[in-house]
Amino acid sequence: MSFLEQKDFIEENDTVILYLSPSSMHAINVREMMKNKKGELIEYIFQTSFGALKVKSLIGVRYGNKVELSRGHAYALQPTPELWTNTLPHRTQIIYTPDISMILFQLDVKPGNIVIESGTGSGSLSHHFLRGVKPNGHLFTFDFHEARVEQAKVEFTNHGVSNFVTVTHRDVIKDGFTEELNGKADAIFLDLPAPDKAVSHAFKALKSSGGRFCSFSPCIEQTQKVCEELQKHGFTEIQSMEILQSEEIVKMRSVQIMDLDFVRTKKILTTCDIELNDNKKHSKEVQKIITSSAPQILPGHTGYLTFGTLSPIFAR
Amino acid sequence: MLENPPKIKIGDFIILQRQKYMKLHKFGNIESSAALGKDQLELRNIEGHPYCSTFKMIPKETRGRQRITALELCSDKDMQDIRDIMNNAESGADNRNIKDDGGSQKLGNEEILKLREDIGDSKKIIGTLVENSTSFQSKTVYSQEKYLKRKEKKYFEYVQIRQPSIRMLAEIFYRQDPDKIMGLRIDSLSQIISYSDVNAFGKFLLFESGTNGLLPAAFLNAIGSGTKGKLVHMHPGNVPQKQAIQALNLPQEQLDRCVSVNIYSVLREFYQGKEEEKANVEEETEESAAKRPKLEEGENNTDEKSKSDEKVKPDEKSQKWKLENKKACDLMKEKFDSLIVVSRDHPLNIVKELLQFIKPGRPVIVFNLSKELLMEMYVELKMLSTVTNLHLTSNWMRYYQILPNRTHPEVQMSGNSGYILRGTSIN
Repeated sequence: MSFLEQKDFIEENDTVILYLSPSSMHAINVREMMKNKKGELIEYIFQTSFGALKVKSLIGVRYGNKVELSRGHAYALQPTPELWTNTLPHRTQIIYTPDISMILFQLDVKPGNIVIESGTGSGSLSHHFLRGVKPNGHLFTFDFHEARVEQAKVEFTNHGVSNFVTVTHRDVIKDGFTEELNGKADAIFLDLPAPDKAVSHAFKALKSSGGRFCSFSPCIEQTQKVCEELQKHGFTEIQSMEILQSEEIVKMRSVQIMDLDFVRTKKILTTCDIELNDNKKHSKEVQKIITSSAPQILPGHTGYLTFGTLSPIFAR
Repeated sequence: MLENPPKIKIGDFIILQRQKYMKLHKFGNIESSAALGKDQLELRNIEGHPYCSTFKMIPKETRGRQRITALELCSDKDMQDIRDIMNNAESGADNRNIKDDGGSQKLGNEEILKLREDIGDSKKIIGTLVENSTSFQSKTVYSQEKYLKRKEKKYFEYVQIRQPSIRMLAEIFYRQDPDKIMGLRIDSLSQIISYSDVNAFGKFLLFESGTNGLLPAAFLNAIGSGTKGKLVHMHPGNVPQKQAIQALNLPQEQLDRCVSVNIYSVLREFYQGKEEEKANVEEETEESAAKRPKLEEGENNTDEKSKSDEKVKPDEKSQKWKLENKKACDLMKEKFDSLIVVSRDHPLNIVKELLQFIKPGRPVIVFNLSKELLMEMYVELKMLSTVTNLHLTSNWMRYYQILPNRTHPEVQMSGNSGYILRGTSIN
C-alpha cells in the first residue's frame, strides 16, 4: 500500500525496498507469514547476500531507517516509481527512468489528467503515470497478454493505487481503446510492435480540446511509419528523439607520479645502488585525486521516442 | 461532449508561435503588443478567442526597420497547406543542371520587397518566386520541398496563440539563453522531476538560484491543483524569480502552496526566532543585491507588477515576506519528502545545511553544469554517510529528422545536459 503517498512508518502489506547497495536492492511485500512450496504457512524470512531478514520485524520501522541483517545491514526505503523500476519482477522488457522522465515531461502529464497507455508490460511506466495523475486523474492501461493484465491488477491493488487505474485485456491495434474512451484522453502513450496501426485509435481517444501523443519504438522503421500516420491524422509538432543516460563512476584515486628527470645526469658508479633506492622513493610521489569515468558497458540504445500534438478540434 | 480549450484573457501569459519559433508574452492589456522578429504585433484582436487559434499578420505601417502588424483570425481557406504549389511543379532527377551563380531568381531584391508589401500573402509571394526561378523545375522533389520550406519560413505570415505549459516554457527559455535557467536542458529537467518523486501528496524542498521560475513552476505543476502537496522554494535573491510560475496561469489555491523564501532569512528565523526582522530584511537586501544584480534586472522586467506593489505598500509586502518565512519554518520543522538543489554557488554547503530538514529514505537531487563540483560532493557525502545510493549521471539526447527515405539524426545536437547527482537521505 506504500505507493499511494509518502508515509513515515512501515505497515503490514506495504511494499518495501530493501537497499543493500546500489546494485543490490529487493522489493519485499511486508507480511508475517508466507506459503512454502508445499502450501504450508510459514514465517516469512527473506534471504539477502548479507544474510536473512525476518520480514515481520519491518512492521513499525520508520522508512529510511537501518535494519539489521544476520551478516550486515540494509535500509528499508519507501518505494518510488524509480526504485520500483529497478526492482520490479520483469515480465517484459521495460522502459527505464531516462526515457520515462522524457515521456511524462513531453506528454504534459499532471495531476487530474486522463492518460492511456498500451501495453502495460511489467508496469514500470504505469507507476510513473500513476504518480503523475493522482489523486484526481486516471490511467487506462491496455495489454494483449491476459496473464500480464491479471498480474498488473494484483500489483496495483497491493500498491494501493487501484482506484486510479483501469487495466484492460485487449488488442488495441485490432480493437482500439474502447468506445467509452473516445475523446477522453489528455495524453496517449504507445509501446506496441506496430504502433502506426494504433495512431487512428489514439486520434479518436484524445480530447476534442486536444492532447499529446507519444510512441516508444526500438526500431527506426516503426518510427517512420508512426510519423507518416501522425502526419496523415493532422498531428503537429511531430518530433522524434533518442535519449541515453550515462553514469559517471566516481572514485578517489591515489595516482603515482613518475619522475624522469634523474636520468639526465650521470651517476657515480660507486654510489649507484644507494642512489637508485633514493630515486625510487623520490619518483613515486603520490597524488590523491577524484576521478570519474564512464562504465565499460552502458546502454547504447533503448528506443526512439516520437511525440506529437493534436490540436483542439476547431484548429485541426 | 465537446471540451473547448480555455479562451485568451487579458492578464494571461501567452505563447506566440510562428512556425517552430515560440515566444512568451504577457497579454497585459488590450493595447499590448509583442515583438516577433521585425514585426510588432498588435494583440487587441486575440482577446476572447480560444487558445490554439491562428491569426494572420496584416502589415499596417513601417516604422524604420519595424513593421506594425495587426492580427486577424484566420479563415479555413487561409489554413490551406502552402505546398499546394508543389502539385504544379515538375521535378528534375538530380542537381547536375543547377548552378550557384545567384542568377536563378529573375526578380531582384527590390522587386521582391515590393511584392511583399503589395501582396502580403505568403502563398502568392512564393508562387511568384517559383514562377520566376529558373532552377526550381530542375531541382529534385526533395530540394524543391526544401526550397519551399525555406521560402515558406521567410514569408510565413501566420501566428498561433498557445497556452503555456512547462514543456513549452522549458523549450523557450533554453533556446533563448540556457545560462538564464542554469543550463537546465529538458532531459535533465524531466529527470529532476522524476527522481525527486514530486507528486500531489508530499512536501518538497527546492533551492534554486535563478531559473526564471522554471524549476518551482515545474514542481508546482507536478504537485497539481486541488491537492495537498506543498513546495518550499528557497532562493538567494531579494525577490523570487517567478516568471514561469505566473506563465502557467495557475489557480491561487495552487500558487499559495508554493512558499518562496530567501534562504538566509528563513534559516536565520529558523535558528534565531523572529526578533529583529526589519534589520534582517535590509541586510539580506544588500547581500543579495550585490551578489546577483543581473538576475534582479531580469526580474524587474518580467515582474513589474510585484515590484510596483513593493514600492507602493512596503508594509504589506514585508508582512507577506514574514508570513512566508513563518510558513516555511513550520514546514521545515515537519520535514520534507525530498531535497532538490540547483545552485550557482558550490552546492555542498547548501545540501549539508538543508539535509536536516529531509526525512530519512528520501531522494536528494543536485544539478550542476560542472561535473567536478558534483564529484567532490559525491566523495564528501559518501564520507559523511548522510546520503547513500549515490549516482552521478549525464545525458545524451538527439533529435531525428524522420522523412520517407531521408531519415537521419539532426546534424546538430546539444552537447551538455549538465550533471545530476542523486541519492537517498539516511539518518
